[in-house]
Amino acid sequence: MIEPEEGVPTVLNLSEIAEREKEEEEKVVEIVREFGAENLIYCMQCGSCAAVCPLARVGFEWYNKKLIKALLLGLKEELLDDPTPWACVACNRCTEVCPRLVSPFEVMFAVRRMMVEEFAIPTLAIEGLRALYEYGHAVYMTGREARKKVGLPEKPPSTDSDEQALKDLKTILKNTKLAELGLIPMND
Amino acid sequence: MSNDEKPRIGVYICHCGENIAGAVDVKAVAEFAKTLPDVVVVRDYLFMCSDPGQELIKQDIRDGLINRVVVAACTPRTHEPIFRKACEDAGLNKYFFEMANIRDQCSWAHWHEKEKATEKAKAIVAAAVAKARLLEPLEDRYIELKKDVLVIGGGIAGIFASLDLANAGFKVHLVEKSPSIGGNMAKLDKTFPTNDCSACILTPLMVEVANHPNINLLTYSEVESIEGSVGNFKVKVRKKQTYVDWDKCTGCGACLDVCPPKARVPDEFNEGMSLRGAIYIPFPQAVPKKAVVDMDACIKCGGRDFSGKEPKKSKSGKPILAPCERVCPTGAADRTPYRDPNGEIVELEVGAIIVATGYKVMDKRVFKEFSPDHPNVITAMQMERLISATGPSEGKLVKPSDIPKLLEAKKKGEKVEIEKPHTITFISCVGSRDNRYHTYCSRVCCMYMLKQAMILKEKYPDLDIYIFFIDVRTPGKDFDEYYMRCRQLGIKIIKGRAGGIQPIPGDKLLVKGYDAEICKPVEVVTDIAVLATAIEPDASLKELARTLGINVGAEGFLKERHTKLYPVDTMTEGIFIAGCAQGPKDIPDSVAQAKAAAASAMSLLEPGKMTVEPLISEVNKEKCTGCGVCVPLCPYGAISLVKCEDGKLRSEINPALCKGCGVCTAACPSKAITLHGFTYEQVLAQIRTIARWPEIQA
Ligand SMILES: Cc1cc2nc3c(=O)[nH]c(=O)nc-3n(C[C@H](O)[C@H](O)[C@H](O)COP(=O)(O)OP(=O)(O)OC[C@H]3O[C@@H](n4cnc5c(N)ncnc54)[C@H](O)[C@@H]3O)c2cc1C
Ligand code: SF4
Ligand code: SF4
Ligand code: SF4
Ligand code: SF4
Repeated sequence: MIEPEEGVPTVLNLSEIAEREKEEEEKVVEIVREFGAENLIYCMQCGSCAAVCPLARVGFEWYNKKLIKALLLGLKEELLDDPTPWACVACNRCTEVCPRLVSPFEVMFAVRRMMVEEFAIPTLAIEGLRALYEYGHAVYMTGREARKKVGLPEKPPSTDSDEQALKDLKTILKNTKLAELGLIPMND
Repeated sequence: MSNDEKPRIGVYICHCGENIAGAVDVKAVAEFAKTLPDVVVVRDYLFMCSDPGQELIKQDIRDGLINRVVVAACTPRTHEPIFRKACEDAGLNKYFFEMANIRDQCSWAHWHEKEKATEKAKAIVAAAVAKARLLEPLEDRYIELKKDVLVIGGGIAGIFASLDLANAGFKVHLVEKSPSIGGNMAKLDKTFPTNDCSACILTPLMVEVANHPNINLLTYSEVESIEGSVGNFKVKVRKKQTYVDWDKCTGCGACLDVCPPKARVPDEFNEGMSLRGAIYIPFPQAVPKKAVVDMDACIKCGGRDFSGKEPKKSKSGKPILAPCERVCPTGAADRTPYRDPNGEIVELEVGAIIVATGYKVMDKRVFKEFSPDHPNVITAMQMERLISATGPSEGKLVKPSDIPKLLEAKKKGEKVEIEKPHTITFISCVGSRDNRYHTYCSRVCCMYMLKQAMILKEKYPDLDIYIFFIDVRTPGKDFDEYYMRCRQLGIKIIKGRAGGIQPIPGDKLLVKGYDAEICKPVEVVTDIAVLATAIEPDASLKELARTLGINVGAEGFLKERHTKLYPVDTMTEGIFIAGCAQGPKDIPDSVAQAKAAAASAMSLLEPGKMTVEPLISEVNKEKCTGCGVCVPLCPYGAISLVKCEDGKLRSEINPALCKGCGVCTAACPSKAITLHGFTYEQVLAQIRTIARWPEIQA
């Protein structure tokens, strides 16, 4: 049996997965294709992408090659809680070596988008989004006190200190899917 | 140049690049050769078979330095003809040549013992020189060649070989054991990599064969015996008894449906998924389209058994006939005349033979792990029939277990509701790449599984299709692109050969597999499971090969003379092979081989005569005591005892039949038989040299 909350089960019943896809009337392959992983189906599982991926090297389970195969088999719910796609460092080594022009990096990011759509986002990622909206930096800037002590302006010379720029950024973000999803407060 | 002239031997030692020189000290061998009796010239060269290498020999002959040639190099099997030709070109009788094999039999065999290899090379060269001193000049012989060709097997390979030969003006006798030509291709639905309909491309060729003025088509026939050799084979073909008068049969099919249920047996053409009567035409497009009676199935209705008896009369005085003869509009199925169960023997004389007897697919029953007795576990060939418009369900996709219901309804003219299959699962390499059955790859299964999956998915997009592969092998032209098309259609490819199939409630099957790409066991609930069973040689192939005197390899397919250079030749000259009889292959490759075999037969026979080496045996009538020991020993039947002028019986060897094997020469107690090129004196000189080697060396 498939138990989505438990991650990917030890034995996969492919017929049940196919059945579920039919019931839900959407194929996971189509979803990720729409989210940018257009060439996913050309993957022949050669493994080149995994050979160069830092995620595979440090032991993440669903690195590019395996994630692609899981998607091709129709897994979706089972993958939603997996941290691997969020760990992708966007180095794009995989894209450079893939002989089928799959762009595994795009797959990683498409899966992120799918996860966001399903509200399956790790807290860390939400924090990042909030910081992006509030300061224009996904990685939250700490150490304002320290800056002041050494005589630097409290805010760095970036969007954070440029009111107009920050306003523009917020306007942009409000017009993206992020606002639609309502993941973070966007009141101002 | 006469034999009496004192021998002046030239010895030429080849480095064969590093092949010989890497293990043998060529210079040392050359120095040694100079010390041998009658040797006047010794040279070594990087590649003796190259033009400059051959030129060394030619120049020494032209300069009058030498009158015997010894080349110490590789194998005479491939290179002797080259060096003989060089001798001949320079004006020396080409049988004044001897080859010493210091590569295959020395440097390669003793690569890691260089000193010993050098010593052995010296011994081999010394033996060759010893023989060369005793060589005699010989003259080539010629034999006349018959221009007719026998083609055995009427699949796509046999069809193409026959048509090419016939179009070139050669008379062809095409012998096919079943009632129609077409072979396995006739059973296929569509064909990769272009997906054209098999029958549409095959049927016109079958008709062309039947109508060709140069083709004598002998279906329902088998080769009984063969005598003779290249250019002059005498062949006996048995035309099996059809029990239907083919001169009268129009192939109307009236008799096909009247056989009673008791006489119905599984239909070979539909791979057992439907029944046929005892009287049958194998398939609608059969060529020739004629009925035959399968006597093992026939129950001889009304006692009508072809024994020559008039039919019994009913009370009303009407003759009691079997249903088949009653409905036959032409009288072809008439059962009154006596018909000989042994059929008829036809004798043919041909110059060459092409064997194209194809393959059969492996029986699924041995694969117990896949529940082979379940009706919905089928072979891929059954799947071809299932999706074919001429198949048991007329191309409608149904579970095989529903076919009887479907056929019953059709007979009654009723409609039945039959549940559509939702899932189809293919399993690759069933019996191939499997040390329990066949070690080889059957070469076409990956592609035909993709093909069947593609055809099904295009026709029924709702189907879930899974293919379990060990790995997908698509090495042909346009093949990998074909595979990619399948992936785009959403056919699920699982790397890993399934390990078992288990029937589960609801008339379904549970396929247990393993996805080696995500490293997890996987399961599929399927309606139909298709096993890609191996392509294997027909059970009768070994027997046929024995009749023909050609070899089969370890896997049971016919063996070619040389994998790379003579792929359609056999060790028996004049006999060629093509198609799946030589090994598993697809239609393009079968056709290519067929055309190659036809071209080889043409280039052999077209000149009308051929040179034969004079290396055959001859009886010295003065020594022969007529004991006859040699007569039964000759594997080619070349020896007979003939009465001589003095009234005594003595052996005589037919030079056209003798192959020079030497069996008789060795057996003759009176040493009356000489094998030219390998006389007692020559062979003994070689043996003595080697036997006394330690002495000579010291
Ligand atoms: C399921 C399946 C699907 C396939 N699909 C494709 C495809 O899509 N495309 C493709 O290219 N290839 C395909 N192939 C391969 C294809 O079937 C072969 O390449 C082709 O049929 C070989 O032709 P052949 O003439 O060598 O042999 P065969 O077709 O086997 O013909 C041999 C003939 O010789 C006869 N014969 C046998 N023994 C004797 C004897 N002793 N005396 C007289 N006659 C004899 C037989 O009755 C037969 O008529 C498929 C194979 C299988 C199993
Ligand atoms: S881009 Fe992402 S998936 Fe590709 S190699 Fe880098 S970390 Fe791995
Ligand atoms: S490199 Fe490309 S084709 Fe190979 S496994 Fe990765 S995505 Fe698939
Ligand atoms: S006698 Fe004719 S009808 Fe009867 S079983 Fe034989 S072939 Fe069929
Ligand atoms: S050498 Fe003798 S045994 Fe051999 S084929 Fe000739 S005659 Fe027959």
